[in-house]
Amino acid sequence: MADLLSISSIRERIFNPTKHEKTVARTSNPFAQTSFKGNVLTADVFVSENAKEKQANAINFTGKLKASALVGSISDFGNKIKAGIESAVNFAKRIAEYPINFWNKLSETEVTFEPAIKAMSKAGEKFGEALKMDASVVGAKAGEVLKMDVGAKVGEALHTIFDNGISAKQISKMEDISIPRQLLMDNVQAWEASLAS
Amino acid sequence: MVDKKIVKNVKNIIDGLAMHQNPESVSVLEDIGTNSKVDEIREMTAKALVQKNMPESLRVVITNKGKGINDMSTGVAMCTINELLSLEDKAEAIRILEDTVENHSDEEVRDNARSIKALMALS
Repeated sequence: MADLLSISSIRERIFNPTKHEKTVARTSNPFAQTSFKGNVLTADVFVSENAKEKQANAINFTGKLKASALVGSISDFGNKIKAGIESAVNFAKRIAEYPINFWNKLSETEVTFEPAIKAMSKAGEKFGEALKMDASVVGAKAGEVLKMDVGAKVGEALHTIFDNGISAKQISKMEDISIPRQLLMDNVQAWEASLAS
Repeated sequence: MVDKKIVKNVKNIIDGLAMHQNPESVSVLEDIGTNSKVDEIREMTAKALVQKNMPESLRVVITNKGKGINDMSTGVAMCTINELLSLEDKAEAIRILEDTVENHSDEEVRDNARSIKALMALS
């Protein structure tokens, strides 16, 4: 029963707590300063010793006031953290709900792509018709193209180029001699044909 | 009546081939120009071949029967001779004329070459 405290001693501890506190090293670490073994902090641990000396004349808190301020700030800090966590949770919930809301809105909205669908179906039909073409028809078409008189086409192209007239300088600078040959032949033939008629 | 544009085109093509550096231009002129039925075309072609002043081009108008100085058309032959006489550097033409006079199988061609050679010596 030696460990049991008398009512008077309990009363002493409640109303004069500073009387029983131990000396705590004064550092800037708030957690090192805090002792929860029944002791109350006596110093403003957020202010360095030098700063405290400078401010000694301006503010003069007692040990109790400082401790209560610290405890209050700690509890307030906890509330702020809690509020922050709650706001983050709310934000996450809103983000999570957003796709669901978006999907609901999309399903509620009537969207039609009729012109595009029609155009695509027409293009598909054309493509299908093209695919249905007989291979022999394609071959015949290719044959017709190949049967074209290449020489005549080249001649036409040459005369189109020289529609405005052929200069001697142009001819003298042509690297491919077959072009002047073709031009001379065509013009000589035209000259001879005009005399014969 | 021949179109003036065609005449101009033929003249410009032949003149262009006369200036052309490619030796194949001689064969183009020989194949198409000197074998034409039109005297004017043969005349223009012969002049172009002489102006090139190359052994191959001069040989065409000097040694071939029916072409250049040996053309059936007097106008074409006279025009070719006149062009030969107008050459600044006649050395190559004289060398070919001498070779033709000495070695050609056709007497008419040899006689024509001899006459032109004499004219060139006097000019």
